[in-house]
Amino acid sequence: MTATQSRPAAPREWVGQGIDRVDGPHKVTGTAPYSGDVTLPGMLHAVVVTATIAAGTVTKVDTSALLTLPGVRAVFTHENFPRLNAGPQVAFGEAPPAPLQDGRVAFHGQEVALVVADTIQQAVEAARLIEITYAPEAALLDPADGSPEPLPYLPDTHRGDTEAGWAQADVRVGATYTTAENVNNPLGLMGAVAAWDGDHLEFHDSTQWPVNVRKTLAAMFGVPESGVRVHAPYLGGGFGAGLIPWPYKMLAAGAARALRRPVKLMLTRPQMFKLVGHRPDTEHQVRLAARRDGTLTAIEHRATSLASLDKPALGLLTSATGQVYTCPNVATVERTVRLNRRYPSAMRGPGEAEGNWAIETAMDELAYELGMDPLALRLRNIAADVHPGSGLPWSSNALVECCRVGAEVFGWSRRDPAPSSTRDGRLLVGWGMATAFYGAYLPQSTARITVYADGTAAVRTAGTDIGTGTYTVLTQLAADLLGLAPRQVDLQLGDSDLPDAAQSGGSGLASSLSAALTDAAANLRRSLLDLASPDSPLAGAEAGEVTCRDGGLCRAADPSARASFADLLAGRELTQLSAEGQTRLPDAAEAGMHQAGGFGARYVEVAIDPAIGRLRVRRIVTVTDCGRVLNPKLARSQIIGGTVGGIGMALFEETVTDPDTGRVANGTFGDYLIASCADVPDIEVLFAGGPDRFSPAGTKGAGEIGLVGIPAAIGNAVFHATGRRLRSLPITIDQLMM
Amino acid sequence: MRAFVYDRPTDVEQAVAAVAADPQAAFLAGGTTQLDLMKDGVWTPDRLVDITRLPLRGIMVDGQLMRVGALTSMEELAAEPAVADRLLMVREALLAGASTQLRNMATIGGNLLQRTRCRYFRDPTVSACNRRSPDSGCAAVDNHARMHAILGVDERCVALHASDVAVPLVAVDAQALVVGPQGQRHVPLTELWVRADEGPSIEHVLGHGELITAVDVPLLPAGWRSGYLKVRDRASYEFVLVSAAVAVLMDGDLIADLRIALGGVGSVPWRARQAEQMLRGTHVDPVRFEQAGRATVAGAYTLPGTAFKVDLAVATLTRQLLAMTTEATP
Repeated sequence: MTATQSRPAAPREWVGQGIDRVDGPHKVTGTAPYSGDVTLPGMLHAVVVTATIAAGTVTKVDTSALLTLPGVRAVFTHENFPRLNAGPQVAFGEAPPAPLQDGRVAFHGQEVALVVADTIQQAVEAARLIEITYAPEAALLDPADGSPEPLPYLPDTHRGDTEAGWAQADVRVGATYTTAENVNNPLGLMGAVAAWDGDHLEFHDSTQWPVNVRKTLAAMFGVPESGVRVHAPYLGGGFGAGLIPWPYKMLAAGAARALRRPVKLMLTRPQMFKLVGHRPDTEHQVRLAARRDGTLTAIEHRATSLASLDKPALGLLTSATGQVYTCPNVATVERTVRLNRRYPSAMRGPGEAEGNWAIETAMDELAYELGMDPLALRLRNIAADVHPGSGLPWSSNALVECCRVGAEVFGWSRRDPAPSSTRDGRLLVGWGMATAFYGAYLPQSTARITVYADGTAAVRTAGTDIGTGTYTVLTQLAADLLGLAPRQVDLQLGDSDLPDAAQSGGSGLASSLSAALTDAAANLRRSLLDLASPDSPLAGAEAGEVTCRDGGLCRAADPSARASFADLLAGRELTQLSAEGQTRLPDAAEAGMHQAGGFGARYVEVAIDPAIGRLRVRRIVTVTDCGRVLNPKLARSQIIGGTVGGIGMALFEETVTDPDTGRVANGTFGDYLIASCADVPDIEVLFAGGPDRFSPAGTKGAGEIGLVGIPAAIGNAVFHATGRRLRSLPITIDQLMM
Repeated sequence: MRAFVYDRPTDVEQAVAAVAADPQAAFLAGGTTQLDLMKDGVWTPDRLVDITRLPLRGIMVDGQLMRVGALTSMEELAAEPAVADRLLMVREALLAGASTQLRNMATIGGNLLQRTRCRYFRDPTVSACNRRSPDSGCAAVDNHARMHAILGVDERCVALHASDVAVPLVAVDAQALVVGPQGQRHVPLTELWVRADEGPSIEHVLGHGELITAVDVPLLPAGWRSGYLKVRDRASYEFVLVSAAVAVLMDGDLIADLRIALGGVGSVPWRARQAEQMLRGTHVDPVRFEQAGRATVAGAYTLPGTAFKVDLAVATLTRQLLAMTTEATP
């Protein structure tokens, strides 16, 4: 014991602590630069003009009057906008067609002209006065007239024989479920500032993926990728809207190149409904079959999402369907229908959120058909140990624990299963639950660590922090890896000149960058060890035997055998030392495991005033297995945000498209309803499980899983409260009046 | 931004003269709806006469009458003790009507004259709007029409008057005090607005240059009870789906007297006089309440999207009548 006491105190672990956001002070003092804050000398302002027909051709744009207005510098149409190359293909992120190339209109709201002026006020007024003549054509607007086609990212899947499973069953349910178009609507309006110097482009953008914007702009403008630099140090939220290289980026870059002046282009709120993607309308036909004891014998999921003519839906509606429950017979079929509508894209929990609504509502229906507790039905079928498709053990799966912990905290055992059985005065009270799954995704990234003689360190990577906490969790991890305090670590993100990083999407970036950073730290220790002189206490140590602590390198087994970074650098007359690392992943199958995504269980209480159809969510208990939690405060914030999004998807959010014109009818925050603070009840956020075995950092991502399962849990609570099964989102007063 | 002339007179006569002299001029008060309409290009005045420096702010209570200056903010009126004591439905409508920020900017005079929230009226790229452009048609009736009116409307226009506070003010027979080029007059609020089915492009009876300077609001006598029930999708910050303002004077379980107006259903704030007559002097009876509600919405003009408002209006009124006549005072 004496020997132990004489050692220095064990270093504090920063990972796992709920420290405040390191970028918080920048944000609350207004010093965090968003793309809209960037102002350059000589900068002009651009305003996008959008189409007022859904299909056809621009035949004439009368610009003569506009060009005489004060301050107006240019009006770009398909007749004078620079010709662009097609965008490159990249996973999930390929650009829609280049704007203003041929006058073709494929949806109401599409970019058809760009007005550039000295001030934003001048540009707005000129854009209002522009006169555009169209040759309209018959638009394909009714989904019933479209032809379903397969999705590029997800083939149909078959496991076992669903018809045989259907025949073996004692109880069967089948129904059609729908979800409405939702729009990401980050609070920060998206936009860009473009400035060219010859073939070199500085591009300040609202993006979740700077490297992809660089690649896309370089290809489309035919300039070297090496000369394009994309800055996105901060983003006012994204929820997926910042993943795609949208046409507004090409408009800003094209106008700036043609005019040889920096150009700022910011979208308006109504344009955010049209030009940066959305969660498309979906329809799901689900059939479930089970034996009397609740054992599933067949799952069939046929789903369709609406898309635009020029960009298919991301889909993924059926991607979780065969992965949660042990069922020998599973079939999924997924289609997209292309219409003269706006470009779809990814929105928080894309596909999984919609598919979960269908499957987890159907599971509740099955539970009632069986006369079985909905939780018991899940527990009967959860594939807790091995993946039901591959048969390999999960790298981690705490879904059963999520269900049990949530039920305990919520008080599920006190639930009377009979619909309309629980009242509070004139209110009908309902309790509902659902499980959640979000697919595993762990992309490649790189990161660089630099240590300096003063004992501080810099971490650099092109990845972004879209409000999720990337700055903070990487600072915590770097502090642990380097034996420093968080304030000694300087973190820079969101710059495509920094080491390449994946998109902030698919809930994969924290895992990806954590792995890259861990690898960089290992490389750095090796390089530092190489600097040690023969008389150093570190001499002869192997790379695996040393660790960083207190601004230096030491033997892990004997921290007193150490050399400070300053001494190591000075010995070789260096001022700094850098090392890069990359995401290194095990081969899951070789390691004998199935890579897991996030799991969760959601418990919801609603109260409904049946006479006037008023529904309020009163309480939510949400339990999530997202692997290792890097920062409980930020993870909790992610889950709360996802939960609020789930409430919006369930009860409020719906982009209304006029059936005759394809126009967005409610593209404002006054008309498109998102959950207000008064709609959000107490949310109890709990985590279950532990570090994942596949992910090098043990993390599985917390960004999207929080939303998944909330809509179904709310809908199931509505059924419990009222006995009314509602299968179409959002659930509104007119559906609830009794 | 479209250029316009901006005036800020300091007395009422100057303000009225400035607007009266220019057919393209308009008054500007809190601006919470007008500036949106200007930004959206729906409303394009050449001259704005800012009236916020006029001495029209403040509340005077004189016996049974409360005079509310037209520039009194929604928040100030909600905080007025006489309103809390004797017109609770007005306070409830104000608080449910807007966020605190908006209540601090928006004025009572401006609230009464707010324009419809119709999504087709508010988008100038939609050409068919009889309210904006006479005889151009109505795009709303052919599309998704959940937020529109069902009373005082027809196929030419389904625009809703979305004010909350106007509903209880109509119920108590408040009057607008109006000053114009021809002098001063009183306009009962029940006669201030023009129903859409009586002329979709004319919203109210005020002439160009006429300015609301105050609203005279009768206070409910002692013994009356009132309340405002607003039904909407989300719990806060949303325009009304259906609302009911109800004031009652009970004599045991007999309804000695009452006032009723409905919001969210009419092209104008909807006074329900027939329902009042049916229930005055009767006993508390939910069946009768529902019949009175049915009578109020009889003859509703509905679209697929608004059909639910008929039953919702009946249910909302029935609920609020029950609350005012039977439930314990909070």
